Amino acid sequence: MFRFMVIVSAAFCLAGSSRAQQADPQNQQETIQALRQEINELKARVAALEAGQTKTEASAEVPSPVQPANTAAISPEPFGFHRGIKLQGFGSVTYKASDANPPDLGASLGFRPGSAGNFAVGDIDLFLTSQFSLRTSVLSEVVFSEQSSGEFETDVERLLLKFDPGDYLKMSFGRFHTATSYYNSVFHHGLWLQTAADRPLVVEFSDHGGLLPSQAVGGSFTGRLPSGSMGLNYILEYGSAATIRPQITSPDAPEIEEHNSNEITAGVFLQPDWLPGLDVGGSFYHDHINPEGSNLHIAQAISSVHAVYNNSRFEFLNEAFLIQHKIEETGQTFNTPAFYTLISRKLGAQWRPYFRYQYTNAATGSPVFPDVGLRHGPSAGIRFDANDYVAIKAQYDRTFRRDLPDFNDALGQLAFRF
Amino acid sequence: MTISRKPGILSTVSLALLLLPACTLCQQERDEATGPEVVVMVNPANKIESISMGELRRIFSGEKHSWPGGLAIAAFVRAPGTRERDVLLARVLRISESEYKAHWIKQIYSGESQHEPLVLVSNGMQLEAVRAEKGGIALISAKDLHPGVKVLKVDGHLPGSPEYPLK
Repeated sequence: MFRFMVIVSAAFCLAGSSRAQQADPQNQQETIQALRQEINELKARVAALEAGQTKTEASAEVPSPVQPANTAAISPEPFGFHRGIKLQGFGSVTYKASDANPPDLGASLGFRPGSAGNFAVGDIDLFLTSQFSLRTSVLSEVVFSEQSSGEFETDVERLLLKFDPGDYLKMSFGRFHTATSYYNSVFHHGLWLQTAADRPLVVEFSDHGGLLPSQAVGGSFTGRLPSGSMGLNYILEYGSAATIRPQITSPDAPEIEEHNSNEITAGVFLQPDWLPGLDVGGSFYHDHINPEGSNLHIAQAISSVHAVYNNSRFEFLNEAFLIQHKIEETGQTFNTPAFYTLISRKLGAQWRPYFRYQYTNAATGSPVFPDVGLRHGPSAGIRFDANDYVAIKAQYDRTFRRDLPDFNDALGQLAFRF
Repeated sequence: MTISRKPGILSTVSLALLLLPACTLCQQERDEATGPEVVVMVNPANKIESISMGELRRIFSGEKHSWPGGLAIAAFVRAPGTRERDVLLARVLRISESEYKAHWIKQIYSGESQHEPLVLVSNGMQLEAVRAEKGGIALISAKDLHPGVKVLKVDGHLPGSPEYPLK
């Protein structure tokens, strides 16, 4: 009995150790791979040290005149720090069919007004970054933008020297996208980055027909306020906006140049730790404008609020605006309320259907938005991420307009990064 | 009496030998199911002792750039397919690999961050990086820990405790 138990125990021990050794060949392979990697790294370091020693010995053998010490000039870079320029690009090809009559420029890029359907490249976006130190960097976004005439215009959309002393203060100086809206702060010119095929009209870039002053040159200051897990942040901007927008219902009419004075924008937003992806906040923008040809001096105030929830599967964007124009000569005030909401959910790893509703109501007789009027309507679409670089989108829009016929748009888009 | 006790001791030893591989198998199966515990390490010069999951998420998603006191954070991550990377994505950030890449493109493009965390191909390199950088932080399997770094509590729990979140 005793011998039997010993034999059984030994058999179990052997079985156990054998099981342990053969448990996971993949793990073993990974371990071997990691060890080989470390050996190679160590070999490289030894070689470097030997090379340095040989050099020291060689220089020690040959007496040389006394040289000034230059140790202060050698400042080791932070681990993994790389100097140089990093370049990233975004592009798209879009087909749009529209039955708008009279022609409507809408918020689309490069489309021929009046055409039943045509292809357009839209924006070609070159995004460059360069780091001077862990806290100082340069960011630049240069866009080649297709016009409705088919020609391309070059525009420096953003050029920023950034300095981040800490989480409580981050400074940027140069040309920036204003914080007049969440959309303008988060989504820039790369259409690959956003779910829908185009931007809602109110937050479209002003040179494409949008209503907000989307760019300014000056300083931007942002950071976190002491608020614990509430994640309260602020943003302050001071600069010069230069808004020039085409008239969307009269594409052949001259563009409206607003001749903006210096602008100031202030905003706060919450990004609480207890619900990652939630962003709730608002901003206030103020400047004075003198639209070309109107001889009017207008105080412009733009208030916005947003509530956004965005996680890996679910996206829910909501933003509302009140754009107020007060004519200083007459005291007359024109209010333009606007909002958009977008909801989308990822299905599987690649599909993302979405729905959007947008509303803009420019007052009749508005000296700044004579072309906008009331327009609202739904958009429905689907985005398919073919891989990490290419997205295919299909979108249908219906737009209702005051005193003008409703119209439909259908868009197919290939958006990519490179 | 002596004769009668000898088989008793041997029986006990035999039973222990019988149970030992069985326990080893159980432990191994548990490790295969959950993987080894992952700890958060920082440079010993860093004064913090504990970090919350929210802070970890903000560090590795590029929303937090400085330690208390102003020291710049240098975050390091392992390459895809490693235990540390899996824990970072599944437990801390709760996103997939492709979502992680897309997040960092957006983060850099919006100007919120200058660069994504440096990807290192081995835990040895992670140790070296965190030792070299005063603001360094990385996740590492507990079995690969070596002296020269400081291990942080996460949400107030030390590695090994039942409530420790990075298992």
